Amino acid sequence: MQQLRINKQVKGKVILMTLYLFLSSALLSDGNTPIGKYTGKDDLTKTDQKVEKVSGKSSANAVLNKQANPMPVYGHWRNFTTKDGLPSDKAYCVRIDGERVLAGTHDGLAVYEKGKWTTYTTKDGLPHNGVVSIDVSQQTGDVWIGTLGGLCRWSAGKFEIFNQLNSGLPNDLVYCVICDGKDVWASTGGGAGHYDTYTKQWEIFTEKNAPMHEPWTYGVSAGDGKIFIAAWGGGVIEYTTKTKQFKDYTDPDGEMEIDLLPDDGLVHDITTATSWADGILWVSTYFGLSRYDGTHWKGYFDHDSGLASNFINFVRAKGPVVFICTDKGLSSTDGKSWVTYKKNDKRTDGMAIIKNYGRNDDPATNKTTREMPLSPSIGHNFVIGVDANNDFLWVATEMGVSRGELLK
Amino acid sequence: MVLGTLGLLAMVILFIGHKVAREHVNYMTAVEDHPLKCSSCHLYTSKNPLVRKLINADYLSPFNLAVSGDGNRLYVVAQDANALLVVDPLSQKVISKIAVGEQPHSVILSSSGQRAYVSNQWSDNVSVIDLATSKVIDTLKTGNGPAGLSLSRDGKSLYVVNSYSSTISLINLSTKEEQKRFPAGNNPTGAKLSPDGKTLVVTSRRAIIAPYGESIKSELTVIDENIQRVSDRKNIESAYMMENAAFTPSGDLAFVTMIRPKNLVPSIQVDRGWLMTYGIVILEQGGKGRIIQLLLDEPNAFYSDPFDIAITPDGKKAFVSHSGVNSISVINIDSIRSLIAESTPELLKIYSNHLGVSSRYVTRRITTGADPKGLALSPDGKLLYVAEQLEDRIAVINTESLEAIRTIDLGGPRRITVNRQGRRLFANAGHTFQKQFACYTCHPDMHEDGLIYNMAGKDMGRNLTNTESLRDIAETAPFKWNGKNQTVYKQDGMRFSTVLTRTEQFSYNDLDAITAYILTGIPYPPNLQYNPAGELTESQLRGKEVFERTHDNSGKEIPETNRCITCHPPPYYTNRKLADVGTLASSDDPIKFDTPHLNNIYASPPYLHDGRASTLEEIWTKYGTTDKHGQVNDISKNQLNDLVDYLKSLRAPLYERKDSKSFHASTISN
Repeated sequence: MQQLRINKQVKGKVILMTLYLFLSSALLSDGNTPIGKYTGKDDLTKTDQKVEKVSGKSSANAVLNKQANPMPVYGHWRNFTTKDGLPSDKAYCVRIDGERVLAGTHDGLAVYEKGKWTTYTTKDGLPHNGVVSIDVSQQTGDVWIGTLGGLCRWSAGKFEIFNQLNSGLPNDLVYCVICDGKDVWASTGGGAGHYDTYTKQWEIFTEKNAPMHEPWTYGVSAGDGKIFIAAWGGGVIEYTTKTKQFKDYTDPDGEMEIDLLPDDGLVHDITTATSWADGILWVSTYFGLSRYDGTHWKGYFDHDSGLASNFINFVRAKGPVVFICTDKGLSSTDGKSWVTYKKNDKRTDGMAIIKNYGRNDDPATNKTTREMPLSPSIGHNFVIGVDANNDFLWVATEMGVSRGELLK
Repeated sequence: MVLGTLGLLAMVILFIGHKVAREHVNYMTAVEDHPLKCSSCHLYTSKNPLVRKLINADYLSPFNLAVSGDGNRLYVVAQDANALLVVDPLSQKVISKIAVGEQPHSVILSSSGQRAYVSNQWSDNVSVIDLATSKVIDTLKTGNGPAGLSLSRDGKSLYVVNSYSSTISLINLSTKEEQKRFPAGNNPTGAKLSPDGKTLVVTSRRAIIAPYGESIKSELTVIDENIQRVSDRKNIESAYMMENAAFTPSGDLAFVTMIRPKNLVPSIQVDRGWLMTYGIVILEQGGKGRIIQLLLDEPNAFYSDPFDIAITPDGKKAFVSHSGVNSISVINIDSIRSLIAESTPELLKIYSNHLGVSSRYVTRRITTGADPKGLALSPDGKLLYVAEQLEDRIAVINTESLEAIRTIDLGGPRRITVNRQGRRLFANAGHTFQKQFACYTCHPDMHEDGLIYNMAGKDMGRNLTNTESLRDIAETAPFKWNGKNQTVYKQDGMRFSTVLTRTEQFSYNDLDAITAYILTGIPYPPNLQYNPAGELTESQLRGKEVFERTHDNSGKEIPETNRCITCHPPPYYTNRKLADVGTLASSDDPIKFDTPHLNNIYASPPYLHDGRASTLEEIWTKYGTTDKHGQVNDISKNQLNDLVDYLKSLRAPLYERKDSKSFHASTISN
């Protein structure tokens, strides 16, 4: 079928992409396993340590002033690797689900519950062990899992597989899956797929019926009655669920290497993820971060903001804050202030770099930067997935899954 | 001379006429001694509306029922009358008949007794009835094929089991909006809330689709009422057709009716003693949480098609209706407790397949009228009410003496039409060796059971056979996957008893009746999920273009024999010819396949003659690589999705006829 030819094209890109990711991570890897000492609880109850105790050092920078720093800062990091029960150190994604945490790894789904990791693989019913995306239906509690070999619904312990051969799923490479009420959206190597769990019908969106450059879609998110698809080379495709109308956002200057005109639109057409919260759409690319408030776009780069790197794998917005997964650490921002978590090479410690730009958008005059030592820090600077709730920040990295506690 | 000539002429005409008629009847029935009764075919299976009106009758067909809190009213779902009957059990009178939706399935009452909720399986809604005024005061939209119902513990929400879409809807009764919809087992039906209101058990009838050779399993879906989410999906091994559930008053055990089919052994197994077995699943709610299966059959007698189960308020007795043998089994629950307490897991596993063990807990068999379905106990547990579906009456059984003490006539026609007699035969296992199964057993709801059977063939093939639906098949002859049966007469006649039922064949009167019923009495449910109003979606319209296309994506003409529309023309979407679609298995007898009709095809997974394709997509993705089953290998994934969307939109022939002319000319004539 023609689809098979499309798959070949997509596979070519996937191979290039995978190779790039591998080389990036290999270059960034320090060859050491930075497992920090942790004496806190193993469940998801927050410790009651204060921020002063974070580093164990009497640095004044370690003391956070809530008013001076409106951004949440996370410390007390704990890193989980195969030694702690993860099936693989290579973690792709992480999702908090009430009292448990779900992590997608290269060798299966790992579930952290009551201080213990449990692994699920193809032997248990997963379509593929490469789990790259996870979302939980707030309506039913069902877990939707995107893998490198299909999509599945994990409901009350049972895996139900959807693949390109047995269902309307566009393609088995499911880079991202989200739940939006009764609807499930999957961005895949063969287009974006929409599954209505009520009617059990699939819709496929590709370059043939949507304003996409090509069928390869990398991310998808929902918000404000819209679906935002990160289309490889095609920017962001906005789909209004009520009217079923598309609108696309692309880089106006069309430059592949630089963002020629600042804030004129999306910073680049090669998008990797989208996330919407509090009226703001955040878009990650391999060339910087974009923020869209419905009227104006703003771009962020590593040279003019607190962003750790322009190479961004994933973003997740939570309220006013967005967490940005890059190849050089995890950044977070509300658009003004920044907190970036980094690990020092060949050591387990690292730091949180806190940049406040004030409120008048004048970085030259208003910028303050503080470095807060963290020991341990995140497991690796190559960060691929993130999720947060009121108390915790969970991060999927090249070297396991890390958990930080909100410092108050 | 003239008279003599005329007489001779008359004799010649009579002789020739008789010979022609004889040959015609012989062909139609595949026997040489069927009486020359024109009425057999030309009256009983007539589609003329006036004739049908004259020879048929409007029955009520009570299906499920509920009893008021004071025991003074019965609320009976009259399935074929689309009504809820309010019955006074003391005066044995029907007090009122409340019109509800199409094909009502279940009825439950609010705890206050002020409201009744009736699921309308063919309307995709629930009727809310004010029992004080006997009026429908609201209609709640549901998923597809609403069946079992249960109120939430606080009575503020309603769980609706959507039997066709295999989901469970949770409806907020204040806002009347559906809050959630959970995936359920395959073809779920019954719903029962535990006495403490914490757990809702939902049964399912069809097994989870799996390749032939794997032991079947079916899902019991468990909902945690505290969080109103699915908390468990229990796989019940080797069982299916779990119709209904009941809890003991203490809530320590849940009972579920079920069938354990032996579809993995050749069908010749009938004469060895069991093609199907029938029993109950017992779920321990605490302790070890064991899942135990026990049969209700006996070594030389099967109790087919268990449907409903009711447990007395004292928790001592359970009653199970067996619609296939017109019987109620009475189960001593203390004996069940003793049995499972003293038995090791290994022993219990043996018991799950043991025909002799039922004597330890089945204390009585109570005979009922035709096709006993729903059960309901009076509040004091002294009376058991049984919906006798094909009698249009309610049987009343004394639960102490365990005897039927009276019946309540619901006022349906007293006349038993040929069609009705056919339905009774269809539902009854009496014509099968040891009453092992009825037609209904493998064709529940006159459809199909989703299983694949090993119908060992005369040419030594295994001949795995995907059960076919019997809905509206009159115009789709020939029958069977190999197309060898030109009529239903042949299908259900001598050969049927020789090969399958292993007992005396139907009498010719009964054969007339069951044929009449199969050919005229089994309509399709409306396709409300994929084509509720006859207006195709954009995707379905694109799929229709693929289905009807004459050229491939490169513009090359597709040979006429390899177009979808050629073999599957409307209104039945079959040209009724044999075809080789490249799916013959090495274990099959060498045959071509009868082209199946595609109406309501969405409701008949798995697909292909041996059920190898679990979804419509798989017909062409996994099993259509040679382009023999239509030319499809040039189409994109988008086009395949459109094609599947279109196929799922196909409805009953009644709705598809308007398109039929344009295709018949070029296809049937070929």
